[in-house]
Amino acid sequence: MIAVRGLTKLYGSLVAVEDLSFEVAPGEVLGLVGPNGAGKTTTLRSLVGIVQPTRGSISIGGRDLDRDPVGAKRQLAFMPDEPRLFDYLTVEEHLRFTGRLYDVRDAEARIPALLRELELAEKAGALPDELSRGMKQKLAIACGLLHEPKSLLFDEPLTGLDPAGMRRMKQTIVERARQGAAVILSSHLLHLVEEVCTRVLVIHRGRLVAIGTIAEIVGSRPDLQGRSLEEVFLALTGT
Amino acid sequence: MIGAALYLSRRSLANATRRRLARLRQPKYLIGFAVGLLYYYWLIARPRARSGGAGLPGSGSESLAILLLATILAINWLFGSSRSPFAFTPAETHYLFTAPLTRRQVLDFKLLRSQLPLFLSSVISVLLFSGGHLSASRIVRVLGLWLVFSALQMHYGVAALVRQSLEEHGVTAVRRRLGVIAVLVVLAVVVASSLRRQLPGLQAAFVEGPGAGLDALGAVLHQGALGVVVWPLAALVRPLLAPDLAVFATRLPAAVLIVGLHYVWLVRSSLAFEEVAVESAERMARRIAAWRSGRRPPPPERRAQSARRPLGRLAAVGSPVRAIAWKNVQAEWRGSGVRLPVIIALGVVAVVWVASLGSAAGTGIQVLATLLLVFAGMAVVLGPYVLRNDLRADLLLWDLLKSYPLRGAEVVAGEALGPVTVLTVVAWACLLAAFGASLALHLPGFPVLDRVAALLAAGIAVPAFVVVVTLIQNAAALLFPAWVTLGPARAAGVEMIGQRMLTMAGSLLLMLIAFIPAVIVAAVVVAIAGVAGVDGVWRAVPGAIGLTVTLGFEAMLTVAWLGRLFERSDPAAELSG
Repeated sequence: MIAVRGLTKLYGSLVAVEDLSFEVAPGEVLGLVGPNGAGKTTTLRSLVGIVQPTRGSISIGGRDLDRDPVGAKRQLAFMPDEPRLFDYLTVEEHLRFTGRLYDVRDAEARIPALLRELELAEKAGALPDELSRGMKQKLAIACGLLHEPKSLLFDEPLTGLDPAGMRRMKQTIVERARQGAAVILSSHLLHLVEEVCTRVLVIHRGRLVAIGTIAEIVGSRPDLQGRSLEEVFLALTGT
Repeated sequence: MIGAALYLSRRSLANATRRRLARLRQPKYLIGFAVGLLYYYWLIARPRARSGGAGLPGSGSESLAILLLATILAINWLFGSSRSPFAFTPAETHYLFTAPLTRRQVLDFKLLRSQLPLFLSSVISVLLFSGGHLSASRIVRVLGLWLVFSALQMHYGVAALVRQSLEEHGVTAVRRRLGVIAVLVVLAVVVASSLRRQLPGLQAAFVEGPGAGLDALGAVLHQGALGVVVWPLAALVRPLLAPDLAVFATRLPAAVLIVGLHYVWLVRSSLAFEEVAVESAERMARRIAAWRSGRRPPPPERRAQSARRPLGRLAAVGSPVRAIAWKNVQAEWRGSGVRLPVIIALGVVAVVWVASLGSAAGTGIQVLATLLLVFAGMAVVLGPYVLRNDLRADLLLWDLLKSYPLRGAEVVAGEALGPVTVLTVVAWACLLAAFGASLALHLPGFPVLDRVAALLAAGIAVPAFVVVVTLIQNAAALLFPAWVTLGPARAAGVEMIGQRMLTMAGSLLLMLIAFIPAVIVAAVVVAIAGVAGVDGVWRAVPGAIGLTVTLGFEAMLTVAWLGRLFERSDPAAELSG
């Protein structure tokens, strides 16, 4: 469960996010959509603890991110759009390293299985330089899944992936939600949001514009009946 | 083409200046700018006594200049990176490579654009050494230095292209450097054999005095095979050393010929140029995109390379602090590239040289032991500035670090422990080797037992010293991410020089503050040991323990403070501000 209450982030006089509140239940996939500069990335970065909110509270699996950041982050995995890897660690070493950081007691057993599942076993001894973009993405996902997080945050997860990679990524997201994880997915790709997400949160200029299933959002606006998600999105954000 | 290059340079300079001035609204940049201006005033325009003569360089200066240039080139070929100094910006790539221009025109454009910074560097360098006076002879220096800089830059560019080209054809970096080393060895053999024949005469000349020695060396450098090897270097530095414009003009054609040959070499090597430039620009574009999106850029990508076997395997379960330290040690180990084998080879050569000295080995061992002690000292004092695989490197992955379920203090401690471990081991190894070498020496007044005490004391103090210096560097990166170089990009401008000076001054001040209580404690412990009857040098051992405990306590407090700082701060906001 992810619970956000009154999240506000200011950069000087610039309001990046203002009074944002929402919840994501286990098994749910929440799509975070909005135009460029709407505050999506700031919201995600606040949820991971990278950015300190100016006001508001964030709870991950019942643990307050401000008061118990270590406990909250243990239940969390963040998949940025660009895989973040260390230059001089091999694929397997990345997983061992992550296992140490997240205190994964059975990492030794999980690592080979995860490498096989993500088709990285043959590249276990390779440095990131030797990996394709898709493989790097897989490695980042493997690192994120090693500790079996209860909450998953994806930022533009399909960036740079080939069709097969996109398909696998969507399967991974849906599969984790089925297993009970609370998932937030930030993307400009509305068809991805439509296909994968159970609910959508539309954000514009840092403020929540709409939240709910697509049917609920459209239902609340009679003028949007019968429109595509793209038209709904454009109408909601006035872009 | 020339008009476009000039327009781009002019507008870019104007807009960059406007942006820097706008940045001065932030107090820290304003202070940095003020300090930078004072620094330049002190270096260039401060009132000072005029030197007596013009100080026109003779053949000794020419010899020194040739040696310096040869050393710079050798270092570049041995240790230089594959990154071309002619790296294109993403915008240049987009506009130039898609424009109806030949590859040569693109190269000309880049070369033209690089001339302005080279010229300004020449002016500033000459001003620094001339007390701000720009007379006719100084103008000669500016022009001469500009020629040298241009040739050097093209040489670096060719070297980078050759390296990349060889790498793309499957020659590993080590093999490539071995090839270069072979060429250098051939050159060294030519130089050595030429010098050996002239050695008695040179020795006699240096006995007369350095001036006579350098003059004799200058004469030798222009004779026989050595003269042929050295001629391009001599031709390049002679205009720089010309006493007046007339002599400069006579020396200019040869230097222009060398610059021209470099240009031809660069153009001929440009088959790989476009690919390299585009690739480099793409890498830069990704980094810039990451910065603009508010995230730290990914680390600079290197060519694919196989992983060296790790120094020790990381257990899947255990302390996260040790895991981070282990990661940083691997980064030093795997990132050291060819430097480590070269250092080891130089060490072996030194030992072989000492062994070959026969009856004169004592002097050789003395020199070797002294060099080892100097190297240990450099590892401790300068090492933390050189090894940067700690927060200074990993702040590029700031968001990843902050997403880990760790307390800030754990992250900071783990990050700093990596280079501390490497440097401590290096310093200990050097101290031990120096001690071992000293056992073959009879040193009156410094018996073996005293040497053991000195070794123990130094060995105890080394890690604490390294920890403090490393933590100061990491603190600077955390406190002033906009001032400390993170990754390959370096900010430019007067205000940045001032900021760097402030950072350095701050580092020295912090070292002083950290060491004062530790030295006091150490002194008290030494005094107590003396009262307790501990002999001479052996008092240093408890003194070192006192010093280490005090510095260790300070380090713990610093790590806790930096940890809280790490948890609270947001460098993306800092840098965008």
